[in-house]
Formats: sequence, C-alpha cells, structure tokens
Amino acid sequence: MGLVKAGSKGTLGTAPTGAAAPEDWTALLEHADAGHRRHAAQALGDRPDAAATLAARLPREPDPAVREALLTALVRIGSPEAAAGLAPMLASEDAGLRNGALESLQQMPVDAVEPQMDALAGSDDSDLRIFAVLLAARLGPAERSARLHQALERDPHVNVGLTAAEAVAELGDPAALPALEAFAARFPDDPCVAYTVDAARRRFRGAS
Amino acid sequence: MAPPSEEPTDGAVSPADYRTLCDLLRERTGLSFTEAKRYYVQRRLAERVEATRMPSVRDYLNLLRFQASGAEMQLLVNLMTVNETYFFREKYQLDCLVNGMLDEVVRHRRPGERVRLWSAGCATGEEPYSIAITLLERWPRVDEFQIELYASDIDSMALDRAREGVYGERSLQALPAELVERYFRPVAPGSWRIIDELRESVDFSLVNIVDPAQVRRFTGIDVVFCRNLLIYFDDLGRRNAAAMFHEALSPGGFVALGHSESMSRMSSLFVPRRFPDAILYQKPAEGAGA
Ligand SMILES: C[S@@+](CC[C@H](N)C(=O)[O-])C[C@H]1O[C@@H](n2cnc3c(N)ncnc32)[C@H](O)[C@@H]1O
Repeated sequence: MGLVKAGSKGTLGTAPTGAAAPEDWTALLEHADAGHRRHAAQALGDRPDAAATLAARLPREPDPAVREALLTALVRIGSPEAAAGLAPMLASEDAGLRNGALESLQQMPVDAVEPQMDALAGSDDSDLRIFAVLLAARLGPAERSARLHQALERDPHVNVGLTAAEAVAELGDPAALPALEAFAARFPDDPCVAYTVDAARRRFRGAS
Repeated sequence: MAPPSEEPTDGAVSPADYRTLCDLLRERTGLSFTEAKRYYVQRRLAERVEATRMPSVRDYLNLLRFQASGAEMQLLVNLMTVNETYFFREKYQLDCLVNGMLDEVVRHRRPGERVRLWSAGCATGEEPYSIAITLLERWPRVDEFQIELYASDIDSMALDRAREGVYGERSLQALPAELVERYFRPVAPGSWRIIDELRESVDFSLVNIVDPAQVRRFTGIDVVFCRNLLIYFDDLGRRNAAAMFHEALSPGGFVALGHSESMSRMSSLFVPRRFPDAILYQKPAEGAGA
C-alpha cells in the first residue's frame, strides 16, 4: 500500500462525453439529477441564445452547485440578454441568489449591463445604487460624469455618494469639483465624507 | 466592432489582433492577458507566426482557431504559461497535509481504502513529487491506505519534463540534503533525477482545468492542490475552475490554493477551514448545505 503506481491506477471514472444534442441540454436543465443539470448549465454557457433559459431556471434551482453553474454560464455568455435575465434576481428575497446575481453582473462586460443601469440607479436598495455607481465609473466620459455627479448631488444614502466620490477622485476629473462640494455640504457632520472629499480635492490639485 | 487591423510593422501586433488573441486564449485556457502583458504576448506570438510561416498575424489567428488537431494552440499555450515552481514551495501547506488534513480525510475510512490527491497545474512536477516525499516522510498512516497521486497541467512541454523528473539546483534548493540523497540520483553535475519509485507513483496527464470535458474524468478527489495558477486567470476563469474542483471533489474534500489566492472571492461553494498550518477550502460534506 502507500503510494499506488500510476500505471496500476486507471480507476478514475471515464466520464460520459458531452454527446447530448443542443435541444437535449435545455431539457436536461430540468432533470431530477443535479449532476445532469449542472452539465447542461455548463454546456449551455457556450450558447448565447440560451441566456433566457438559464436565467429562468435560476430561481427554481435548489442545488447550490447547479446554481453556481447557471450563474457562471450567464457570465460566460455576457450579453445584454444574460444581464437582463439576472437583473430581476437583484430583488430576490433569497440572499444567496441576490448576491450571486450581483456578483455575476459585476463580472460581465459593462456594455452588457448598461441597459440595466437606470433600473439599478433608481432602486430603493442603496447596495444596488452603489453597484450602479461602480458600473457608471466604467462607462465612457460623458455618460459617466452625468451619473456620478448625480449620485454626489442627490443620492440620499451617504455610502452611494462616498462611492461616487472615490470614483471621481480615482478618475481625476476636476469638473467633478462642484458636485463634490455639494456632496460635502449635504453631509456636513460626516467625518468620512469630509475626509474623502478632501482627499479628492488634494488629488485634483496634484493632477492639475 | 474592432477596427480593421493594420499589418504589423516592426513585429508589432495591431490592437484588434491583440484583442482577438487574448480573447481566444481566455476562452480556451482561462489565462487572462491584460494590456500590461502586451510585450510578453507579442514576442511569443511573433515567434510562432514566423515558425509557422503564416503570411500575417490574422492568418495565424485563423490557424489557431480552426486547426482541427489543436497542435498550434498547444504550442502557443506552452509558450504563454508561467511554469515557475520548486520543491517544497509554500511548504506550510505540505505541513498541513500531514498535520491534520489527511487525518480528517480518512477519519471514516478503513485501512486499504483509497485516498486521491490531485496537483492541478503541476508545471514541471516539483509540486506532486513534493507531496509524495512529504507523505512518505511524514504521514505515519501512509502505508495504511492506497494513495493515488494525480498531476496535470495544460502545458505539454512542462509535463514531459515532469515525467522525466530531472532537476537542477534551483529547483532543489529548499529541499534538505538528506531528502535529496534519499529521493534523487545525480545524473550530471548540478543535475539530479528523482528515483523511479517516486516517478512511477505520480499519474501525469494533460488537463485544462477550465474544460469540463477534460476535468470530468477526475472524481472522488480528496485534496486538490491548485497553487499559483489562478492568479493568471480573470474572475470568470477562477469561478469556472472553482466549479470544476467542486465537481471533482468528494464531499468534505479540500482545495489548497497559493498564498495570495482566496476562494471566497471566486466561489460560494466552498467554506474556509483554518488548520494550524494553513487555511484551506472545503467542499461541504453531504447534507451540510453550501
Ligand atoms: C506558476 S505554475 C505553478 C506550479 C505549482 N503549482 C506551484 O505552485 O509551484 C502555473 C502552472 O499552471 C498551468 N496552467 C495555466 N493555465 C492552466 C489551465 N487552464 N489548466 C491547467 N494548467 C494550467 C501552467 O501551465 C503552469 O505550469
């Protein structure tokens, strides 16, 4: 016993090869066996047209590993349809699903998620608005500034404004100064705001 | 859409072709090359374009994508991987293996049963051989079980060298002299070969860890070592790899990652476990939920 000789192993399973026809994968997504469902999700990650099917299965999927495979497949597809399929799950009661959807949207290309931006920015959930700010920071300059400045000037939740303040500081765009000052004036007693705004001001001065 | 690529002058690659290549590599291997790696990638690409006598980078990219055998893709991947490794690297995890991890793995097993370990991303073999040496030297129960040691990599050249098992001083420097004495034989000045008994105990194979069809062969694994590999992946690649390991592992099985890598940032499927020597990630036992 001890270390087994390589040649005498040969005991690893020979996996069934992915021979199923495409239409079968969709059916397998509903199979009673979680292993089949997982393989179907993996296979459908190669098929951009499967985004809606994958997303539809998600809220019903009880097995965490299959759920993860569904999410990963949607990130792989990475299209606006995939993002649109995930967006409704951001409002799910199920924290696991909500976080999984949020994390997956973050891993998608910004172009795919951009159509969901208005819904995110207008959400009641400040975490989603923070996410919208993080996404906005990845957009082109015009679109980006409008959204970031709006968060600084209007968002009622201090953490959303702080996220935007950090983003404009990072981007080093002095045109954001008035919006930053407005943000500081809205939360005069918050030391965190004072600190962040001050850091941004200094950053702009250093840059100009 | 990508702008049309200009033909490269001075061996440079157009931005569009560079993007196409990076996308292709990411899709096939999980490896993620950012703009910062452009010089590194470009040099190797130019080398292969020339070696294959392709008239342009664009033609070469088509060869990569459509060649049925995948031989050129393999050659390019071999050039793109970073194979840096050495014996007893991140030894605290080897300590952990014999100071508690394996005892936990075999807790409900009878003597004579199997224990399966897998070094995924073994490069030139130092890692799986280090595991073998550690087991033989330091796990008192090594003879009670049938221990199967698998090792794989996406780089076929590195695997050839792993199978050959010949190492220089640099690879061996962290290994105590008496272990070199016991497990190696000198073959030339500054060059040692690992003894046959160890070479034969590791099952080497070519496996791309983000390809479900290739990984599916691995089942019932108790411990996966995947160290210093996922740092070269992007988020999606890491997530895919985590899912592959989850599938390959037995319930209660462990993943050991490199010191700068953390599973919590890539998957919700594992729970961190703190051992005295290291933090590992565990696939929850059946019925325990994730
Ligand atoms: C830096 S080495 C690490 C070697 C060893 N695990 C260690 O920690 O010393 C990384 C290895 O990962 C391999 N690798 C990269 N992408 C891979 C993939 N998709 N599948 C399998 N191996 C991969 C590379 O070929 C390389 O040999």
